[in-house]
Amino acid sequence: MHRPPVNLSSSSACYRQRGGALAMTLHCVLLACVLGQIVFLASRHRVRWDLTSDGLYSLTDSTRGLIGKLDKQLLIEAYFSPQEKLPVSYRDTRTVLDNFLDELVQLGKGRVVLQRFDPNSDKVITERCQRIGVKPLELRSGTSSSISVDRHWQGLRFVYGGGKQKVLEQLAPQSSFQAEALLTPAIKEVLTTEKHKFGYMEWQATAVGQQQPGGIGWNALRAHPDLLKRFEFQNYKDEDGALLPPDLQTLFLYRPKDLTDRQKYVLDQFVVRGGTLVVFADAAEYAIGPNRAFTKMPLALDAAGSEKKLLDQLLSYGIDWKPKVLADLSPDAYTPKDRFQGAQEYLSLPQNNGFGTMYQVVPYPYFFHAVARDWSTAADKFAENEGKVDDALAAQFRKNFVAGMPSDEFLFKTFKQIGRGPGFYWPTWVGLRQKAGEVLDLPEGITGKVLLWSSPATLAEDPPQSLDPLGQGDMQRRNEQFGKFQQKLAERYKAEPRRQAPLMVDVRGRFSSYFAGGERPKRVSELKEEEAKKAADAKAADQPKEGEKPQDTPKDVVGPEAPKPADAEVAKAPPEADMLKQGDKPGRIVVMGDSDFLRDDFVQGTYVQAGGPMSRFGMMFFTQMLDWLAEDRDLVALQSRMPVDRTLTFVEAAGTPNADPRQAEQALASKTRWVRGLNIVLPAVLLALFGFVVMAIRRAQKRSFLESLN
Amino acid sequence: MRESLVIFRRELKGYFYSPIAYVFGVLMTGVLLFLSVSTSLVQGAQASMQTFFGLLPIVCIVFLPGLTMRLWAEERKMGTLELLMTFPVRISHLVLGKFGASVAFLAFVLLMTLGLPLTLGVYGRIDWSPVLASYAASLMFAGSFVAVGMFWSSMTRDQIVAMLLSLVSLFLLYLLGYPIIIELLTGWMPAWMIDVLNGISPYKYFESIGRGVLDTRDFVYFACFCGFFLYANALVLQSRREKG
Repeated sequence: MHRPPVNLSSSSACYRQRGGALAMTLHCVLLACVLGQIVFLASRHRVRWDLTSDGLYSLTDSTRGLIGKLDKQLLIEAYFSPQEKLPVSYRDTRTVLDNFLDELVQLGKGRVVLQRFDPNSDKVITERCQRIGVKPLELRSGTSSSISVDRHWQGLRFVYGGGKQKVLEQLAPQSSFQAEALLTPAIKEVLTTEKHKFGYMEWQATAVGQQQPGGIGWNALRAHPDLLKRFEFQNYKDEDGALLPPDLQTLFLYRPKDLTDRQKYVLDQFVVRGGTLVVFADAAEYAIGPNRAFTKMPLALDAAGSEKKLLDQLLSYGIDWKPKVLADLSPDAYTPKDRFQGAQEYLSLPQNNGFGTMYQVVPYPYFFHAVARDWSTAADKFAENEGKVDDALAAQFRKNFVAGMPSDEFLFKTFKQIGRGPGFYWPTWVGLRQKAGEVLDLPEGITGKVLLWSSPATLAEDPPQSLDPLGQGDMQRRNEQFGKFQQKLAERYKAEPRRQAPLMVDVRGRFSSYFAGGERPKRVSELKEEEAKKAADAKAADQPKEGEKPQDTPKDVVGPEAPKPADAEVAKAPPEADMLKQGDKPGRIVVMGDSDFLRDDFVQGTYVQAGGPMSRFGMMFFTQMLDWLAEDRDLVALQSRMPVDRTLTFVEAAGTPNADPRQAEQALASKTRWVRGLNIVLPAVLLALFGFVVMAIRRAQKRSFLESLN
Repeated sequence: MRESLVIFRRELKGYFYSPIAYVFGVLMTGVLLFLSVSTSLVQGAQASMQTFFGLLPIVCIVFLPGLTMRLWAEERKMGTLELLMTFPVRISHLVLGKFGASVAFLAFVLLMTLGLPLTLGVYGRIDWSPVLASYAASLMFAGSFVAVGMFWSSMTRDQIVAMLLSLVSLFLLYLLGYPIIIELLTGWMPAWMIDVLNGISPYKYFESIGRGVLDTRDFVYFACFCGFFLYANALVLQSRREKG
């Protein structure tokens, strides 16, 4: 049998090749394993630097401050099912949570203890979760052949000092920013041992076209669950008119109207004794209703028969409330924060365009906000008349105009970052008392400042009967009506001087009683007692005198005793402290020129479908105001962590009213086109030019080389 | 290291002397900027490079294989690889020199797009730190793609095959960083394997740095990823040198 000769050299080459390939593969696999391990270890022991200028991925001072304040142990129980079993979309949220919790433990330096439990692994833990309120996420997962609903757990319980606790039943934060926004308020809640107490008196707005017999108040804010966990609100609107308890520090007066002298006296004694009075004031009330007709409703600040006027009383404390309604014609002030997504913040018209409802902003200057800019820098613009700047007027404006949000109080930190204050709706003028020449005239020992100003394009007027810009009817009629409305405002703008209106004022000091030098108004029970006494005296005068025989009183009547006359039932009014004429402790009065921005229907977005108004920033302002009044700065850093406004502005919005919007649109379109074109073409042109230069140099070098050879 | 620098200079000069590199640069920046300015440069939008850096990985997947396909395959086709192998340099120096030159050229191309953040800075308040971090991340991301492309280029003589292999592998690597794709795989693979696959994708780490957060983990990952493919590349070349 012939056997072919074995080519030893090719066979050994083949083996060598195979061996080489195998060795190479093994090499690569081993290297991959080693590198994989290195990456894994690096992800366990990592150092990170947040380069964002607003620290978007770092813990705020709020969290650091709260953890630093711990004097007992904060136990965090994490009820987490294993990360690898979570759906992929949730795994990142777990990583975010794990990182955040690790950072808390590190910050706590032993005072924060983290315990992890897997509720899926033990029935006892599952039952505990159900008992304390941690809820599972029921998520669907599927394979090629089956679909199942799995229970995943991602909840936390905070226990502080073995006592107070807070449960976050489910959470899935997408970023550390979100994790902090969820966890830090929860930590603050368990650390809060004593709730700050606020009193309030409210007078509700008339509800038109709605089934709310009680009117519209501000329950949505006052009874918000998150606020009630930290603050306590108590109604002190007392029928009898008793003085406020001395332990009450702050009283909100929401939309005061029909105030009796006694109520004014109660408020007077409260501030004279050193309390803080916060007034949300309105000069007029406009009905909204389903058609948004904006018709004036009756509103009187003083009750019928009241001798003392609320405006005079406030003036005596140094506050000048002019019951006028304000309109700010600066487009910066009446344009909503987001004219596409949040057009309903002020007034807009819903329009169906086939894809859905779009809301077109209606310029309505009676709804506006304070703008966080220094208006003195816009003096030239406001001193312009027919294209020419009046230098003398501009100089005067530069001197008189102030910033829209001049205060450095922490209440305004967030709003300054947004660049505007909360939206106000038909606001009124609340400023400081002045004498001739616009010189401040505050009472002795009182200091005050205006915290919010409108723009210099502000008009003030007595509340008109209607403030409906569009009227009712078809689109043509509405357009006509709107044209007339704008025309009227433009005429007034031309005729009236430029001035800013104060929208919020803060006055502090030892107040003198407005009622000093007179008698204090009596309580209802005192008045009743007096009346009863008078009636009793009159009756006594009618009784037969001594020696006279009483007329036919039956002595032998059997049965229950006859009821006493009603007057006799008037309980004796408890004695009241004497009037305090001069305060020994400094009091404080804050007056805001609007109350509508806190009312339920505005905050809850009742009119969103109709196109607004909706108070987008009312809740935020009120929440921060509570902290500001309670001087609780713990959450300020967290609340004011707003992304910096990085809006692109190719063409500035017209600073003054009555600018032609078409011109602005054309300018914008042209500039956008130009900027985009330049950005696309310029790099390519530069690169090509660079290439040509290089080619030219090379060609020249080649030519000179060839020439040198020749 | 000096040898690597020599190779680096030679390769970089090669890029700048070749018209193809300019065509590549003009096309890449043109497409990238054309697609991103329409959403980035809008009145009222945020001054952010998010769209630009969101598109960059896709543009890299499309264009980079075209750049890397010729790195070794062309040398083999032209017969210059043998010559290169006879140089008194180590394979690793050759690989590092070529890799460095490609990354430097890409850095030059990316530099051409700086006009966009500058424009955003003029008309809005751009946050420069995340932008610069994103540029650094882009360079590392592109570097990792170059390493993969170079590896495939060393494996084959045909440039088109090298380009297609790179394109497919880069696209797969990109997809592995997407949660939706990973979600789809959950029914087919055990959880640990999905985690490993997810951890391989450079896109995940690119996103992490692009936010403006520098993390040692991301740097270690990119170093390891590039190191692995460059090492594999060197092994392939070494075996060729040994084969003669």
